[in-house]
Amino acid sequence: MTVRSSSGGPDATSARVAAISVASRARSSGWLRSQSSRRLGFGYLLLAPAVLYVLLLVGVPFLFSLYLSLSDANVGDPVASFVGLENFRAALQSDVFYTSLRNSVVFTLVAAVFKGLLGTTLAFLLLQPFWGRKLVRGLVVIPFTLPISISVLSWKWMYDSQFSVINWFLSRMGLIGTYGSPDWPVWLGQPGWAIAACIIVNVWRTFPFSAIVLLAGFTSVPNEILDAARVDGTSFMQRFRHVVVPMIAPILLIGFLFDTVFTLSDLSIVYLLTQGGPANATKILPVLAYQVGIQSGALGRGAAISLFLFPLLLPLMILLLRNLKRREY
Amino acid sequence: MAAPRTHREKEIRRHLWIYGAITPYVVIAVFPIYWMVITAFKQDPDLYRMDQFPLWFHLAPTWKNFTYLFYSTNYGAWIINTMVIAAWVAVITLITAVPAGYALARLRIPGSENLGIAVFMTYLVPAIILFLPLSRVVSMFDLQDSWWSLVLVYPTVTIPFCTWLLMGFFKTVPAEMEEAARVDGCGYLGALLRVVLPVSVPGILTAVIFAFTLSMQDFLYGLAFVAPGDQKPVTVGVPTELIRGDVYYWGSLMAAALMVGLPVAIVYNFFLDRFIQGITGGVGK
Repeated sequence: MTVRSSSGGPDATSARVAAISVASRARSSGWLRSQSSRRLGFGYLLLAPAVLYVLLLVGVPFLFSLYLSLSDANVGDPVASFVGLENFRAALQSDVFYTSLRNSVVFTLVAAVFKGLLGTTLAFLLLQPFWGRKLVRGLVVIPFTLPISISVLSWKWMYDSQFSVINWFLSRMGLIGTYGSPDWPVWLGQPGWAIAACIIVNVWRTFPFSAIVLLAGFTSVPNEILDAARVDGTSFMQRFRHVVVPMIAPILLIGFLFDTVFTLSDLSIVYLLTQGGPANATKILPVLAYQVGIQSGALGRGAAISLFLFPLLLPLMILLLRNLKRREY
Repeated sequence: MAAPRTHREKEIRRHLWIYGAITPYVVIAVFPIYWMVITAFKQDPDLYRMDQFPLWFHLAPTWKNFTYLFYSTNYGAWIINTMVIAAWVAVITLITAVPAGYALARLRIPGSENLGIAVFMTYLVPAIILFLPLSRVVSMFDLQDSWWSLVLVYPTVTIPFCTWLLMGFFKTVPAEMEEAARVDGCGYLGALLRVVLPVSVPGILTAVIFAFTLSMQDFLYGLAFVAPGDQKPVTVGVPTELIRGDVYYWGSLMAAALMVGLPVAIVYNFFLDRFIQGITGGVGK
């Protein structure tokens, strides 16, 4: 497939070995250095399309959103004037903003606890060798692989006010009365149940992700290291504490941060289940930003609200960056 | 019960324990999909009643919900939109991410490690921060209200991810192969085209799959940029167009969800490990 001399067979191998040794000798004698400007030119040429695309459609829009947040830009009106920090001030003075901020934080934290618990226990189960493990693994990761706007629909139907299948089971088990009785939960219509319903969908969707990341971490610990530690006479707990945990911690942290960034900035679950209702009980910052920015057309206001997510996301991203860099070596 | 004596008995016992413990997880994970399936095939009178066991049919199953989608809604158009959008996104992603991944992995560009991480970090800039300024960009190109707007913006997600993925992949291609090719008289481009790309087909295919599946995970961009009913991708059309006012046609909604969700879930399932490797920085690389 690569370099094959016409004679083939052993000659091909020796030709390749010769070629490699020539190449390595060339490197030491500065062959590469003489080629380096051409190599770099070629490299930058190959990089340019991707870097330009990302700069123009992520970098520039990000700066543009800073500008928008300082203007009174509107969907219908192409001319915007500078209004300083007015949009941020308006957000900070509205009750719905604080409600959304609080809901965003509560949503993310509570969901993280539950997906952490479910994910960890599932990962430990999947670590055991058993018959049919691959199939089980394939089934439990389905929530994470389904397109989110599609799976939320199934939940919306399960949370139906009258024909909820969840309530059918609860009712049959005698935990709640029948439809219309005061203890019949209207999942998406009562403030407390509504936020719980949204969190449940998020946990359902991402606990397999937690489990798989954890599994990836465990399997990345080389058996030789564990064996070496075992030969050194360590106990299971010592090996777990001093070998396994330090080795998988960076992967876990990356998975956790990755998930938090997406949970904090996801609009689809709440938007499709409740649109932020009832009475703002489930309103989170992404939903508020969408409603203000697109539905009411106040681009500037919306941009300011979505930028409030940035100070929440920034520390996570910096942590992630440091971890990714460490993992490279 | 007597203590298990043989190895076989012990194994059976261990399996029973594990199956017992893992069943709740499987049920929780799969139940919403089962509920989709059973709803999609039920007749309406079978659907809206609480006096019978809801997890099975009490009237004959029906295809009516599926035919309704294709005859009376834009469902067919949404599927085609989604496929065409994803195909374009895949093409744009390959044209940009394959060379970039190769350059970062191989051409010893100063600071390429940091540059690679910087590109990947843009994958983590969430859509919710970018969608308002991007809506201006979209209208600047006069693409509002057409699915072409999504062809423009989805690569902002797929390029960073696939560049990162391919960078890891190209690092696993032995450098000796290229060096030998260059000694044989290939230039840098020749070595890339004739030696590296042919052995990188699995990595490139993986990138194509992710261009498709990551495009299908979007909801916000499609919701914000595309208003006309016949221009929507299926992941936006189903939840926004099939629900009108307070009337939910759950049978056809679940049929629509099922036909999109299942194929995506199955394909993604096979590539999930690559995805996890990608985001955790190449575990087991």
